[in-house]
Amino acid sequence: MKNNNMIKSIFSFIALSLLLSGVAFAEEEADPLVCYESRGMIDEDGEVVGYTIVEQTDVDTGWPNIKCSPTTKGVLWWGDPFDGTEAMGEMPVEADYTHEEAVVKPRETHLMEVIGLFPCADMCHGDPEVVAVPKNNKPRVLTEMHLEKFEDETGEPASLRHGRGAIWCLNCHNRTNRNKLIDHMDNEISFNQPQKLCGKCHGQIYRDWRDGIHGKRIGMWVPGGKKRWWVCTECHDPHNVQQAPGNRGFAQLLPEPAPELPKGMKNADHEQEHGVHDASSGHGAAAKH
Amino acid sequence: MEKDNKIEKKSRRAFLKDASVKGAGALAGAAALLTGSDDAEAKATWAEHFQKNYRLMTDEEKKESAERLEKRYSEEYGKKVTVGIEPAMPGVLFGYALNIQKCIGCRRCVHACVKENNQSRHDENGKATEIQWIRVIRMEKGNFAFDQNKMDQGYPHDKNFKHGVQVGGNAYTNLGTLLEGQHYYQPEKVPEKDAFYFPIQCHQCEKPPCVKVCPVRTTYRDPDGVVVIDYNWCIGCRMCMGACPYWARRFNWGKPNLPAEDMNPKTHYMGNRPRMKGVVEKCHFCLQRSRKGRYTACIEVCPVGARKFGNLLDPNSEVRKILDRKRVFRLKVEMNTYPKFFYFVD
Amino acid sequence: MKMVNFATDFLCYALKGGSKFYTWLLFLGFFIMIWAYGNYTQISQGMIVTGLNDQVSWGLYMSNFVFLVGVAAAAVTIVFPAYVYNYKPLKDVVIIGEMLAISAVIMCILFVLSHMGRPDRLWHIMPVIGILNWPNSMLTWDVIVLNVYLGLNVVCGFYYMYKKYTGEPVNKVFYMTLVYVSIVWALSIHTVTGFLLNTMPTRPMWFHSMVPIKFIVTAFSAGPAFIILAFFIIRKNTKLEIKDEAINMLSTIITFCLSISLFLTLCEIVTELYPSTEHSFSLKYLLFGKHGLSGLVGFFWASLAMNIIAFILLINPRTRKNHAILPYTCAILFVGIWIEKGMAFVLPGMTPSPIGEFAEYTPSWIEIGNSLGAWAIGLAIFTILAKGAIGIQLGDVKYSEVKGEQYEK
Repeated sequence: MKNNNMIKSIFSFIALSLLLSGVAFAEEEADPLVCYESRGMIDEDGEVVGYTIVEQTDVDTGWPNIKCSPTTKGVLWWGDPFDGTEAMGEMPVEADYTHEEAVVKPRETHLMEVIGLFPCADMCHGDPEVVAVPKNNKPRVLTEMHLEKFEDETGEPASLRHGRGAIWCLNCHNRTNRNKLIDHMDNEISFNQPQKLCGKCHGQIYRDWRDGIHGKRIGMWVPGGKKRWWVCTECHDPHNVQQAPGNRGFAQLLPEPAPELPKGMKNADHEQEHGVHDASSGHGAAAKH
Repeated sequence: MEKDNKIEKKSRRAFLKDASVKGAGALAGAAALLTGSDDAEAKATWAEHFQKNYRLMTDEEKKESAERLEKRYSEEYGKKVTVGIEPAMPGVLFGYALNIQKCIGCRRCVHACVKENNQSRHDENGKATEIQWIRVIRMEKGNFAFDQNKMDQGYPHDKNFKHGVQVGGNAYTNLGTLLEGQHYYQPEKVPEKDAFYFPIQCHQCEKPPCVKVCPVRTTYRDPDGVVVIDYNWCIGCRMCMGACPYWARRFNWGKPNLPAEDMNPKTHYMGNRPRMKGVVEKCHFCLQRSRKGRYTACIEVCPVGARKFGNLLDPNSEVRKILDRKRVFRLKVEMNTYPKFFYFVD
Repeated sequence: MKMVNFATDFLCYALKGGSKFYTWLLFLGFFIMIWAYGNYTQISQGMIVTGLNDQVSWGLYMSNFVFLVGVAAAAVTIVFPAYVYNYKPLKDVVIIGEMLAISAVIMCILFVLSHMGRPDRLWHIMPVIGILNWPNSMLTWDVIVLNVYLGLNVVCGFYYMYKKYTGEPVNKVFYMTLVYVSIVWALSIHTVTGFLLNTMPTRPMWFHSMVPIKFIVTAFSAGPAFIILAFFIIRKNTKLEIKDEAINMLSTIITFCLSISLFLTLCEIVTELYPSTEHSFSLKYLLFGKHGLSGLVGFFWASLAMNIIAFILLINPRTRKNHAILPYTCAILFVGIWIEKGMAFVLPGMTPSPIGEFAEYTPSWIEIGNSLGAWAIGLAIFTILAKGAIGIQLGDVKYSEVKGEQYEK
């Protein structure tokens, strides 16, 4: 009996500790590994923010949907390129890829759920008592709400970062339905298909994008294969496309770590040295001999 | 295992005793097992040590050796590892185009490649190096700047320039040549205002110098244009590393350090299967993906869509359209290597 | 039967010696132990124990290999005057040259094995059981010419000694054919080693049609310098008579070759630095350092200084023929050329990397130990072979029907 008790207590101890460690383990696992797909960063609080946040899960054993960069928290590797995508819908005409299975990651859901733009649009711009529907597309000085879209934050049309006064908000956003964008013919464009909007002006880039030589696509390269197309706003900020001069249309981001130095090298300071050295050794040296 | 150990001890003794041995035959078997019993390589079977060059194997032999590896890798990395032997797809010649105007130098391609292709990772104890197949070079835009103060300077250093200037004062400042970039840049943010970036990896030459110099034909060009390496046949002489004009080849100086949890289990025999120490490796356009129709890892990760990949024989492919429409150049054309890696600008 | 006697008698004589002899072998043995340990470490841990990296992937081993191919080829500086010009003083010692060639080729093989990442897979290069990428790969040419050269010297040397041992006449047609073939072959081994490096346009510093001839003239300076040193040691320690004429002949050959070598160095520097293109970066890095990296600069100028000092001492007949000075001249020259081929040719060719990265390489202790050890093995083999050869040349080792008589004085 005594023995039995002892065995019991030992067992229960083991079981308890197993349980505890199991809980600890589960807790560790519960913290999901998340990273951003594009246009993202780690903010001041160490949170991953970005256009689309994805969570790392195993699709297959040892084969995750994505792998995150430990330094930048950007997606560093794609196992499953089609996670969370849906059919792109009607493909633009003229494209050679109409026969392909083209998918996109829907923007509208993201805008709705993550950024919360749509409720806001419904509540403010949808309610004439809060914000009156503009009578026409004419530019005007904007309220504080949208000042970050402007260069000098005056809200003056000429300082709008995109177009510098040549275009105005309502050239892109639907005057009467803020949940939609708008084309030249006043037809509504879904936020899922910004290319139709951007293509209004950027025709050549639109053509290149349609042909697959501008922009990013992941998935299958084979003709007829499934591809995830990345739409304009997944890479570019529509309100600040240019970013700073020389940024090639992208927001700056933290680079991944530099390669390991060659064995025996303490630093790479010599890379910073320039021409100066040659001025004395170049031609002068040839003359010496 | 015990038997293997015995053989190993015996051959080690034999090796040391016969230290000045120059005959290759004696070395061939003995040194193979000299690697230490805890080493993964020691687990490799004799069949693995004495198998033929991959190219000369029959389909059955290829399958057999792939299965052998699958079994060993699965055990070693604790997950189901597959080793593909897919041959080149018919009617496909792989080509790659990189938009240097777009590249922002973020190095994601570099690290995506490492994650995909099971390269050796940095080892704290210095037993292995981190191997990266892509190198992004930072080029200073300032290289092209000319200095107004130097207009009256130059060579000869004669105050009155009686004899005329032979070399202007702006010479000897770099012209943005390939040989003057920075490999180890680490700014807070990229792209930097005063720089552009130039990624380099294997160019999969049509006339590859590395293949020509290989003494044992372990590296060769497959029909889809990819220059591949049979890691089990490489003798580690590094002639190819000397001959490659693009510095695309890397050597496993130590036993590769590949953590099991980070190991990519979908592999190809000529592609990303785990390597052993003492052999050369390089970019192979992610054979394990591309031969199944999937984009390479670097293409998929590029945040700016600067990388394009496809079939050069298909006029509708992305690469072919770039060749038709954009300004394209190849690196070091004077080497006459006919790379299938193109650089372009919009 | 005679063969067996020859082998045992040769070895017995070669391995027996005074305390000086054993001290020397023991001294070499110390380095051979280091070599054994170093190679064991390198094979078990990989080449990570060397100082090599992806930027500079050829280093000390390859440098020594290139240099020793030259030393091996230099045997021809004795064979050629001896047989083609029938120069008697060298004919008596031609066997020493052949033994040197054998030892040097063995050292080459040892260095190549150390250089290889997978020496266990050496059989992959053997025809029939493996694949020899001939004629495409220059390395396969090198493998062939070096092994044939080794074979030629073994056959020539031991055939000659065997005949001398038994007292039978040498088959002139057989022997002389081999001798003439080996003379041409000696040139080929260093030419092909030159081609091994200079057929890589990727490395502009090596990509120079001057490389094979420069290799040959530097080899014909360093090789005979080593032989002269060996001759002085042999003269001092054995009864073998080496005529002054033999040494003077060799020092004259060195003088000619060294002057051509210095001239070629000048040509190379002018050709590269006058237009001063991007392709001269390696040479500039070697001569002056570049971007603050200057690891090889000292070596280059030291080697140039050594070669010039040796040249001055050699061009002047009084210092050349002064056998109190000559050994020092030869030693300086030997070291000078060794540096020139390694630190001033093989290494700078790897810097910058083909895509412009400057990285400096410092050999690790294991690498240095392995190199010293390989040299020690080669020197031990040379000592033993030369000692046996001297025994035969002196007639100390002779075939006799009655066993045991041959050691009676």
